[in-house]
Amino acid sequence: MYEISSDENEFEDWFIESLKIYSNIHEYQLEHPTRVIEWTGEKNVCVAGYNLSKNEILELLLPLKLFADDNQGLCAERDFKVVHGGFTDGSIHCLKHIPGTRCVVTNDGSSSKLQVWDVGGDDCDVIKKTGDIHLKTASLDKGVKIDSPLTGNASVLHGSQVNDIQLTELTSGTPLYTLGTDIPDVLSSLRFVSGSVFLACSVNGDVYVGDTRSPSYLQKSPAGGREGNHWCMGVRADSSLPEPSSCSVARLSSSCQAVVSDLRNLKSPVCQAQLNVQRKTTSDEFLIVTWAPALDNCLAVSGFDGMVQIYNTASWRPELMEFQPIFIHRGHMMSDAHFDTSSSVVTTHVWHPSRPWTVLSAAGDGSVHVWDWVDNTTASSKSLA
Amino acid sequence: MPEIKVTPLGAGQDVGRSCILVSIGGKNIMLDCGMHMGYNDDRRFPDFSYITQQGRLTEFLDCVIISHFHLDHCGALPYMSEMVGYDGPIYMTHPTKAICPILLEDFRKITVDKKGETNFFTSQMIKDCMKKVIPLNLHQTVQVDDELEIKAYYAGHVLGAAMVQIKVGSESVVYTGDYNMTPDRHLGAAWIDKCRPDILISESTYATTIRDSKRCRERDFLKKVHETVERGGKVLIPVFALGRAQELCILLETFWERMNMKAPIYFSTGLTEKANHYYKLFITWTNQKIRKTFVQRNMFEFKHIKAFDRSYIDNPGPMVVFATPGMLHAGLSLQIFRKWAGNEKNMIIMPGYCVQGTIGHKILNGQKKLELENRQTLEVKLQVEYMSFSAHADAKGIMQLIRMAEPRNMLLVHGEAKKMEFLKDKIEQEFSINCFMPANGETSTVATNPSVPVDISLNLLKREMALGGPLPDPKKPRTMHGTLIMKDNCVSSLIFFSDFGCPWLEHQLRFTCRVQLQDAHSDSDTHIRIYTHLKSVLKGYTIQHLPDGTVMVESIVIKVSSSPEEPNTKVLLLSWSYQDEDLGSFLSTLLKKGLPAALSSM
Repeated sequence: MYEISSDENEFEDWFIESLKIYSNIHEYQLEHPTRVIEWTGEKNVCVAGYNLSKNEILELLLPLKLFADDNQGLCAERDFKVVHGGFTDGSIHCLKHIPGTRCVVTNDGSSSKLQVWDVGGDDCDVIKKTGDIHLKTASLDKGVKIDSPLTGNASVLHGSQVNDIQLTELTSGTPLYTLGTDIPDVLSSLRFVSGSVFLACSVNGDVYVGDTRSPSYLQKSPAGGREGNHWCMGVRADSSLPEPSSCSVARLSSSCQAVVSDLRNLKSPVCQAQLNVQRKTTSDEFLIVTWAPALDNCLAVSGFDGMVQIYNTASWRPELMEFQPIFIHRGHMMSDAHFDTSSSVVTTHVWHPSRPWTVLSAAGDGSVHVWDWVDNTTASSKSLA
Repeated sequence: MPEIKVTPLGAGQDVGRSCILVSIGGKNIMLDCGMHMGYNDDRRFPDFSYITQQGRLTEFLDCVIISHFHLDHCGALPYMSEMVGYDGPIYMTHPTKAICPILLEDFRKITVDKKGETNFFTSQMIKDCMKKVIPLNLHQTVQVDDELEIKAYYAGHVLGAAMVQIKVGSESVVYTGDYNMTPDRHLGAAWIDKCRPDILISESTYATTIRDSKRCRERDFLKKVHETVERGGKVLIPVFALGRAQELCILLETFWERMNMKAPIYFSTGLTEKANHYYKLFITWTNQKIRKTFVQRNMFEFKHIKAFDRSYIDNPGPMVVFATPGMLHAGLSLQIFRKWAGNEKNMIIMPGYCVQGTIGHKILNGQKKLELENRQTLEVKLQVEYMSFSAHADAKGIMQLIRMAEPRNMLLVHGEAKKMEFLKDKIEQEFSINCFMPANGETSTVATNPSVPVDISLNLLKREMALGGPLPDPKKPRTMHGTLIMKDNCVSSLIFFSDFGCPWLEHQLRFTCRVQLQDAHSDSDTHIRIYTHLKSVLKGYTIQHLPDGTVMVESIVIKVSSSPEEPNTKVLLLSWSYQDEDLGSFLSTLLKKGLPAALSSM
């Protein structure tokens, strides 16, 4: 027998463990890494490169085997299909799909220009740029955050700071709404919770609530002196309701604290936790927190290292305590070729909109994983069989 | 301009069969000769009428090259060589030559014996076809004839799979067949040198996919086996030969060791014989300086895997069995299947494609009730799993291969052009080369810039040196004039003249050209009109009108004639020597435009 290094042992351990902890897992290697994964359909996602110069935008079809459910055995199709592709001259830091259209909007993270793209239909596989939107932003070198209303005409909400948040109509470029305020705080997240109500999270942790129907409306909930230089936000709204009656807001800090609040009372958090994370990277640019759309109290965080961690907030308390994740995805750290566990950082992750346990994650080495994790903690968990 | 023509045979959008015609430097080559597995009638054969409407193909083809033993690449070979008719050389690698006839015979048996089809090749035809095969070694240049040479490169994918370089003079084409760029456990990855072919021909089928990792496929396999064994079930894995199966064996063995599993794993004895045969082919094939990136181990020393005996079929408890044949169409694997199909705790894992008509094909299509020969029905209650382990290149792999070979042009077959525009753009942008995507039955013509190798005769050299004077300076090239004679896009000879004033000019070269004119005048009048016309156009040249009517411009002779049947059609015969080539060409172009109507006669 030949000598096995400890790295290989770690990989083998994870490989064996993966038989039990995932019901499905697929791993892909893109030519260039992505920091965006955006749903453009039930089975389609868009990814894009973030090199300084030329990059590709790709629309990928997820493996059919994943969706075969009862007939999974008879479907051998495990690969991604590149259904549409295009080229960009710059980096892509932010990519948003406009619901009800075949349109996506992108920003390069260092300028105030938005690019508008037509992803394309059946007759052509090229993603074409249809135009630019030049924004009047307060800061010219920071990237712009983007979101799109859940209903209504094609429009895009954007901003780099609180005082330049604006809603622009897509086809004409006409501003439909401007937030009237002079707060210069830099934005980290922007999220609609209905057709007109949105939340904006600034880098220092303050959350603002705005309504595109009334430009003067703005409600601020400070972070309240909690630890951390950089905060981001994840929002779980029940998009089936026209007005969000309840909406969970999670804020994540660069010092690995998570704070959960309810939209109806943002000032007093419901619960919080110190997450069990050993930071591997000093950069905050990939920090992201998301709620599982089809599970209760399920939160995912990534951007500290090469892992995606999933927490159940039901057991969290109002006072700060340390909690363990209920699931950790380590796949991005387990590199086949080099067993290099140190460098790869997860750049982004998303949940499938309706399949409860399906998550997609991407890392700095170009890997993209699609996984169905097994929740071993609750009684109603999916079993292996 | 010299050019290379590539035509994928087939119709419309159908993929699933490879047969590509290449015309290069006057030679015609057929690349692969696959069967379309989705059709039951003649559409499954390639349409050879493109080559010739009727009759044998021998005189139209210089050679046939088969890339590997999969039926969609070689399945129609005996039909082509024995039923349509071809007696020329067929090239393939040694392992392909060994394995092809086995697969073809299996395929023939299923199609004729089981499905009762009639228009199909016979066992004897397979044998006769294989007699025409000339085996290839890797990286060895083979002269098909004086001008055509071919060379095989390692493609990975399956045992014996090759990418082929075809070369005539300085023009060349590389055809990839099926290949993979990520190494797998026992076959490694494709490799080619920077041979810079004029065209790199590849399948587009996988060009728009991004492959799931090997370890996830393996994980799925282990998970399914483990689950079945844990619940007390039996797992049947029908395999063709110990090739891909060997990888699965290594995988299971490692897993069994690690998890301390007790259930027995067997492989059938029929498999051992085939495995020995396969192993010998494998060793000689991969000994040819392939990159040693894959696991090297003895294929038969397994701790946990034992030989199977028929009597074990009824043993209680869990077990895993590898058995032949791979498509469940006969033999041991079918026998085991019949015994185990009725129990839902059991599982069958199909690791590859199954031909229509086989039980494998039926259960992969979800059929739950099977009719057997003895009119009995078999209920399929066991779990059916279709897992593909075949190694293919994907979008990234194609780019890697282009980087390796550095072709001047790229050509992708079997794709819908409108669904491949992004890939085409990508290739064109990254490598600044053209990317062609002919539809089936459509020809792509690629212009080439061949260099013409030039020799110099010893006599000419000697005479040059006899002229005396200082030795020529290698930094100062001397221009020499010569004439290149080409026929059918081939260089047939090159004749050299030295520069002016050379006393030993031996060759005389005259060009003649015929120009037709519509002119109602008499021959002699036409002569005069030509003379007048040229005198006004060509000032400063010596133009004569000879007594017999002939017009001469410098040394160029122009003579008019017409036939009695067509007095209004004049034929101008122009003739000039090599030295007046420029003027001669000019005159012929000028006169082709006709004579001006109003010409004052002198």
